[in-house]
Parts: sequence; structure tokens; C-alpha cells
Amino acid sequence: MSSRESSTASELVLTVASPRELADTDLSPYDAVCLGNAYCRRFEGNFAEHPGLLPGAVASLHAAGKKVYVTSPAAPRGRDMPHVERLIHAAASAGADALEVHNMGVLRVLRERGIPLPAHMGAFANVYTHLAAQVMRDFGAVRVRPNAEVSLAEMSVISREAGVEVEILAHGKIPLGITEKCFLLEGPEETDPGCPAACVEEHWLTAGKPGGKGQRSGEGAWVLKNVGKGVLSGKDMCVIEHLPELLAGGIRIFKVEGLYETAAYRSEVGAAYREALSRALSGREYAVTPRWAQILRKHSLNGFCNGYYFGRSGQIYVGTVLQGGNSRV
Amino acid sequence: MAELLASGGTVEMARAVLDSGADAVYVGAKGWSRRRAQYEMGDEEVIASARYAKSLGKVLRVAFNTLPASHEIPLLLAKAEKFVGAGVRDFILTDVGAMKALSERFPGVQIHASVGCTIVNAEDAWFYKEAGATQVVTECRVDREEMRKIRQEVGVGLEVLVHATTCFTYLGRCTMSSYTRQEWRFDDEGKNHFLGSPNRGGLCYRVCLTEWDQRRGDGSLEAGGLVLPNLAYFLVDDIPDLLDLGVDTIKIQGREYSIPLVGRMVRFYRDLIDSYLRDRSSFRMEAWKERMAGIITERDAERREKTAGLISESGLSA
Repeated sequence: MSSRESSTASELVLTVASPRELADTDLSPYDAVCLGNAYCRRFEGNFAEHPGLLPGAVASLHAAGKKVYVTSPAAPRGRDMPHVERLIHAAASAGADALEVHNMGVLRVLRERGIPLPAHMGAFANVYTHLAAQVMRDFGAVRVRPNAEVSLAEMSVISREAGVEVEILAHGKIPLGITEKCFLLEGPEETDPGCPAACVEEHWLTAGKPGGKGQRSGEGAWVLKNVGKGVLSGKDMCVIEHLPELLAGGIRIFKVEGLYETAAYRSEVGAAYREALSRALSGREYAVTPRWAQILRKHSLNGFCNGYYFGRSGQIYVGTVLQGGNSRV
Repeated sequence: MAELLASGGTVEMARAVLDSGADAVYVGAKGWSRRRAQYEMGDEEVIASARYAKSLGKVLRVAFNTLPASHEIPLLLAKAEKFVGAGVRDFILTDVGAMKALSERFPGVQIHASVGCTIVNAEDAWFYKEAGATQVVTECRVDREEMRKIRQEVGVGLEVLVHATTCFTYLGRCTMSSYTRQEWRFDDEGKNHFLGSPNRGGLCYRVCLTEWDQRRGDGSLEAGGLVLPNLAYFLVDDIPDLLDLGVDTIKIQGREYSIPLVGRMVRFYRDLIDSYLRDRSSFRMEAWKERMAGIITERDAERREKTAGLISESGLSA
């Protein structure tokens, strides 16, 4: 219990799309869970599509001592908005602690309907400045996840000036884009027999040639993850080396991206970060242990990245311990 | 009546589009718009172009539509002050915080919420209206019913892009380019140009348009030589509907294209709009489609060349 007590100043939060993913994952490392998939309404078992699943899931997670958030569609069309309203009401009455919001229209609906559910601005909300975060705060946001491109130095300003909590992607695939049409299907989603199974399998987009002589593996080539209605980074964001620095910069909310990953990924990556956070918060000397490194390497098939946080290309890794990681291309 | 708005990538292009029939021209302040610096203007060029527009009774709109860093907001306000002092009253923005700051500092200015805001539903339009926007650019696939709601129920100006790209992802919500390559470059004024980020500095390497292989989890090839769909479009059939709907601005993007081509596009839309408005009942589309085909061939050739250069610049070893 000592690690949990010492972590009260921080929050490790996991995204989980469906009841099956929730049941398969060891949630003990996590303080909070964000339910649902914001990319695609049709994702199998999507909590954000089935409001009826929320009361049971929220109650059991609360009983386990976790905070519970519910996400909402990232780019809802007008025709999706009645569903979004039902989802918001269901999340509020199920007792969820916040609604994750990517779309400004959804944020406005939340305020206009007077629904007492705080908003957490998600990765696609395009939070880049403290002033934008303040506008969102005035609409009911209490937490923001700045866009992937925002550096740590910029996040510190937002954290200091905006009057909202700042969440950072600590580990996992970076959301790089959302698409209108599913790229894994030939026909319309409603009738294509490939839906919803197509995105359960892994699909990687690769370009360029593998590294030649004198190049590290993967250099000169790109890899992205295609999840149908979203494009994710091929490499895994990883900040485990930099946790003391992030804490010093005022960051307290650390997210592990669990969407489109295995249960083992969610469970074991979470455990490594839980230990790392406890260590970093203890104020004792901090170093990445070989065990954490081994766990993260095992689950990151294309290596690590975190360049955005340091004002560089997103796919670059800045650090001295986990650089030059795996790459399959 | 709908305003025809066209691109001014240079002083020459700004003049050309106004002379070819555009009612208004938009230009990027250097480092501050969704194109790289070579298609943007220095302050004096902006002011000279604004003066030219005014002499014709037309409008110049300044794009400040990148997503800046927090500490750059004072730079933006200082630059805006200079332009407001020179008579510019129209701005294009993306960052909702910058929008609010600008509308509070300069009451009465016109603020257009940029295509980078990714406005996909009428509630989005409400949000931006409340943050200070007087007009909104809708995302390129928004349907007529949503446009009608925005125009009539939300009561904010409605702007539609008729020549632009659809993008593989939602424009304004994509960081595929900067994930691949991003460099921070600061100009003399201290503005970061965020090279490689279309949202922040305007340069997009268009990595979606390279050839991709799709592989399964075990690394085996699933499909080879894929190009992620990202089409440049050129709306023609929709123009009568858009005019009937009461769209406030019809916008032609094109700062990266050659001046003669942009001039032809502007003249095409000017003539099409005027012809339809003169006599809606007897208007026939066929002849316009023929005229359009020639322009598209030319546009596609310029775009292909540009795209190949950008992908190569992004650092992918072929």
C-alpha cells in the first residue's frame, strides 16, 4: 500500500475501450480509467457507444477505488449529436467523474444542458495555449491534454497559467490523426462484413527502406499504426526516463494509451510506470531499472519516441537509456 | 451576396486575384499562417496589399491561423495592432484563446474561425461564435443541413472552401507530418515557424501521399503501394446550392499555385457565380464543367510536382 499512498499527488490513468478489455487488464497500477474509444463509434464493445454499460462499469471501478472518465466521439457530425447527448447524460447519471471531450461542440452541449460533469479536454481538442485552455475552462473543463505537438516547456506554461490540470501522454501510441472513413474497409461501415473485426487485427503502415550500413535499424523508414479511423504513431511515446523532470515541471497526470493494445501491454506497462512514479515522487535517486526497460522493450515493437516534448520530430527519441530501441522495419 | 475570397501568396498574387474578380483576398502574416514563409507576407507587404484592396473597394484578410505557443500571443497582438492601425479589420484565426484575446483587444474586428478549427457540427459553430468568431469555415465534408443550421440557427457567417484538399485525416487534427519531421526555427521577431507542422507553422510534408505498404502484426505484407486518399477538389456542381443557401464567403485556396493558374481559377468562379446569379432558372452547368476540366489538369500537374518535392524534403530515403 505504501506505493499507492505516496502517489496521491499524481494520477496514472489508462484508456480502455470495451468491457472485455477492462476485464482482461490488471488495473492495480492505475488510479483512474478512461472508458471508450473516441475514434470510431462502431468499435466492438465501445463504452462510448453503449451508455447501458456505464452504470455497472463505473460502480465496479469506483468500488475498486478508481476514478472513472468516459470519452466521447472525437469528430461527431450533426447526425451524431443526439447520441452524444444521450452518452453525456448516461455518464453523468452513472456517476462518472468526468467526460473526455475532443470536440468543441460537445463541450458546448455539456455546458448548455447544464450537465454537472467536468470536462477533460482530449488529445484532439487542439489545446496549444494557456489562453485556449482558459476558454475551455470557462466552458467547464478542469483538465486538458495538450496536443501531441506541444512541448514540455509549453505545457508548464499551460499548467501554471490556465487554471486547469495538465495531462500528458506518458506511454503508448501517439494519436496522429482521425479520418472520416475507415481505411480498413472497402465499403460503407454499415454494410461491410469486415466491420467491426478489421481493426481488432494489427495493421502497420510502412514506407522507405530499412536502415542500411551505418544506420540504426529503422532509420530512414517510417512506420505508423493504422486503426481504421485513426492514424497512430508506430513507435511508443515513452517518458519513463524523464519522470522527475516532468514532476518538477508541474505535470501530475500521466496517461497510458491502452487502445488497440493487448491486455498484457496495459497491465505490465502500467506496473512499470507505477513503480517508476513512486520512485520519482519519493525524492530518492532515480534511474530506469533494467526490469522496467525490459518490460517496455518487450511491448514496443517499433521502438520509442518522445521528440515532440523536446521541440523535435515526434518520432525521435530523446534520452540515454531507451534510445535505439527495437524496430521491425 | 456571397463574397468570393481568394489566396494572396505574394503581393503579385494578391493583385492578380483582385484584378481577376475576387471580392476579397487573404494573406498570411509571416510565420503565422498555414503555409510556409515563402507564401506569406512581411508586414509592409500586407499593408501595401491592404491598401490596394481598399482602393478597389475590396477587402484584405490577414491569416493568423496557426496554433502558437502561449508566449507568442503578445507577438500576435502586436502584429495585429500594426495591421489594425493600417486599416485592416479582417482576420483569420484558429487558436480559440488567440481569437478571444484579439476580439477583446480590438472590438469590432471581423474574426473568421479557420478551416483548422475543424468545425464539423453546428454546436462547434456556436462555440466559436461565443469565443469571438464572426464567421466560420466549415470542414470540407459538412453537409447542407448542417450548413443551413449554422447560417440560420447559429447566426454566424458561413464560409465554404471550393478549392482545397480534403486531406486523408481531418484537416486541423493531423500531426503525421511533424511526427515525421519537425524543426523549431525562430525568425527575427522571435516567432517559431515550427517547420513540419501544418497546424503550427504551415509546412506540411504530405507524408500521407507517399507510397505505403500495409503490414500485419507479424510483419507480413498485407497490401503494397498504397496511397492514403487526399484529393484536391474543385467544387462546381455545388455552387448554385451554396449560393441558394446564402453562404457568406466562397473561398479559393491556392497560395502555393502559380499566379496564372490562381488567376484562372478566380475568373472561373467569378463568371460562374455571376452567371448563376443573373438568371438562376435558365442556368446550365455543362459548359462550366468543360471549362473546369482544363483548369484541373493544370492544377493537378502543379500539385504532383509540389508533393514529390515535399515528401523528398521530409527525409524519407527512397
